Amino acid sequence: MTERSATSATPHVQNGEPIIEIAGLVKRYGSTAAVDCIDLTVMTGEIFGILGPNGAGKTTMLEMIEGLRKPDAGTIRVAGVDAVNESDRVRQMIGVQLQTTALFDYLNASELIELFAGLYGVDGGDARIDELLGRVGLQEKRKSRVDELSGGQRQRLSITLALVNQPKVVFLDEPTTGLDPGARRDLWQTILNVRASGTTVVLTTHYMEEADVLCDRVAVMDRGKVIACDTPTALVRRLGEQATITARASDIGPISGQLSGLPAVVTSTGEDVRLELRTTDVQATLVALLGLADRAGIVLTDLNARQSTLEDVFLSLTGRAYEQQTEKPENGESAGSGGRRRRRSAG
Amino acid sequence: MNALLSMIKANLKMTTRNRQAIFWNLAFPAIFILIFGTVFSRDMSVEFSVGIVGAESQLKSTTTATMRGSDAFSVHTDGTSDAELKQLEDGDRDIVLVFGDVPASGGQPEVQLYYDETAGPNANIAISVVRQVLLSAAQGENPVTVSETPVTSNEITFIDFFVPGILAMALMNAGVIGLSTAFVIYRERGILRRIKVTPFPLTSFVLARVLTQLVVAVAQAVILVGMARLIFGLTVHGNVFLILLVIIVGALAFLSIGFAISGFARNVESAASYANLVTFPMLFLSGVFFDIDSAPGWLQPITKVLPLRFLVDALREPMTRGKGLSDIWMDLVALLATFAIGMTIAIRFFRWDSRSA
Repeated sequence: MTERSATSATPHVQNGEPIIEIAGLVKRYGSTAAVDCIDLTVMTGEIFGILGPNGAGKTTMLEMIEGLRKPDAGTIRVAGVDAVNESDRVRQMIGVQLQTTALFDYLNASELIELFAGLYGVDGGDARIDELLGRVGLQEKRKSRVDELSGGQRQRLSITLALVNQPKVVFLDEPTTGLDPGARRDLWQTILNVRASGTTVVLTTHYMEEADVLCDRVAVMDRGKVIACDTPTALVRRLGEQATITARASDIGPISGQLSGLPAVVTSTGEDVRLELRTTDVQATLVALLGLADRAGIVLTDLNARQSTLEDVFLSLTGRAYEQQTEKPENGESAGSGGRRRRRSAG
Repeated sequence: MNALLSMIKANLKMTTRNRQAIFWNLAFPAIFILIFGTVFSRDMSVEFSVGIVGAESQLKSTTTATMRGSDAFSVHTDGTSDAELKQLEDGDRDIVLVFGDVPASGGQPEVQLYYDETAGPNANIAISVVRQVLLSAAQGENPVTVSETPVTSNEITFIDFFVPGILAMALMNAGVIGLSTAFVIYRERGILRRIKVTPFPLTSFVLARVLTQLVVAVAQAVILVGMARLIFGLTVHGNVFLILLVIIVGALAFLSIGFAISGFARNVESAASYANLVTFPMLFLSGVFFDIDSAPGWLQPITKVLPLRFLVDALREPMTRGKGLSDIWMDLVALLATFAIGMTIAIRFFRWDSRSA
């Protein structure tokens, strides 16, 4: 994927050792399993992404690694240390970036660094502050308070504070949410620099493009389980070279019933003014679609055919999983309804 | 230990930059003192009320005549020595002069000058003026022996009465409002979580906040009392260390209430509402603005269980009358009990996370 090789400098160095080992992890709330028996390994020096909708269990899992919650079953080891029973030792070795509201209002950047360095008992002197701020390009903002920084600058400051104790692993929680594209790209570079300095990065994200660009490996989570874990390229390949065709028209109605019958179509949606088809053979489907529209006298505009991305992977993985499970209808939903365009779970 | 000091240092920096907090903790009570002090202060009249008693002598009559002739004095000569001294104690006299007998060998009689030691700068002025009169009355013939004896009067100026009450109010607001909103904000914004993922224990975080609050409490006291002293001539009697102890115990009691509120308040708005709900009634029923003993009988039992009442009394007695630990120990115990109850509730209800479970 061209984008990835353009932004990552040299292939990163992994020494092949796992730095986080999770086995049989379970966390229940009442009768629901927020984390439902997860096995996962993060290798030293990689950027490891965790994707999933809200409620998938990714935040709960991270909280257990960070020592904020206790699992009901399973083990977590960080750099060989038991994260459940020796969470204090683990906390000394990790850095965590939470949302940027979690910064003190009345302290400026250098004072925040000084404070957090003090909390870890590490060097927080002027030289160290300069070095840390320099790494994220915030040297000029030394004396600035949080409300004087832009969104992107706050995220960079947040990440800097997570690096104060030179952690072995740093956990980033949706680091680019709410940032404009320019700031997002800057932050990607920052994160790549973090990996380049030898720190393992675990990040959660909603943005598929981000996972594509940054992550060496991605775990896709849904309903407390890891349903896939591989490099982004491999995950896309699993879809079998699928592509997506979208188009608009003044009224799809007349042809909507025949969309799923077009050659090589895997899933289809056609309602109102928009249609979307997923296909394993772009050309065959496209030709048939154009013929169909032509015969029905429908003018298609904004015709678009694109290769599958991680987003499609995610949709197909979770859509398919949802279809395949036999579940009792909950809240009026019927089981096994397939071909749903988007899954939105509450909370 | 260093981590704790880092946290306290950061807390103090933040407190001094928090303009809202500075307003509520300093400017607000200071304004009270300025307004009430100006409106209700007794006139700083330059008229001295002098009682003159004792054996007759040339000195005495000359002194009496001189004082009578001056607008600066209102002279009272018809009382007995005891009666006049009683008046002095009641604050109705500034000076009482007791003239002794003329010595058989000649010379001036001894003069005992009694003054009200709680009158502050007024007393000094009175003494020097009276001394002048005595000296001129003696006309340099023979030196006059004047022995000065201080007497504690029960008279408390308005400022003496008011400032301890306002100080108690300031301590209460800083503790209850300050701490309740602070912790709810920390929780809502994820700051508690952020601290929780570091090796720094949350208990140390709370301790740092408490210690910072105590430093602020002492600073409040010093600034407010200093201001009152400078502008209105407030005199602080009593043992400074005792007063410091009261300030610390009082601050602890109120910050535990603030802490308790932050335990079950869901967000900042409700925390502030609970805080006001607690502080406002106390403000008017604890003797801050007027002597609560003059309140109706049915109200009295309520006022006797209010933490602010304990603090107001525990501050007022030493500050205005120089009372000691033996007089206020019950108030201190009550404040400590408040602290214990508040902390129990806080620990029982406090959630470190705004999300469930």
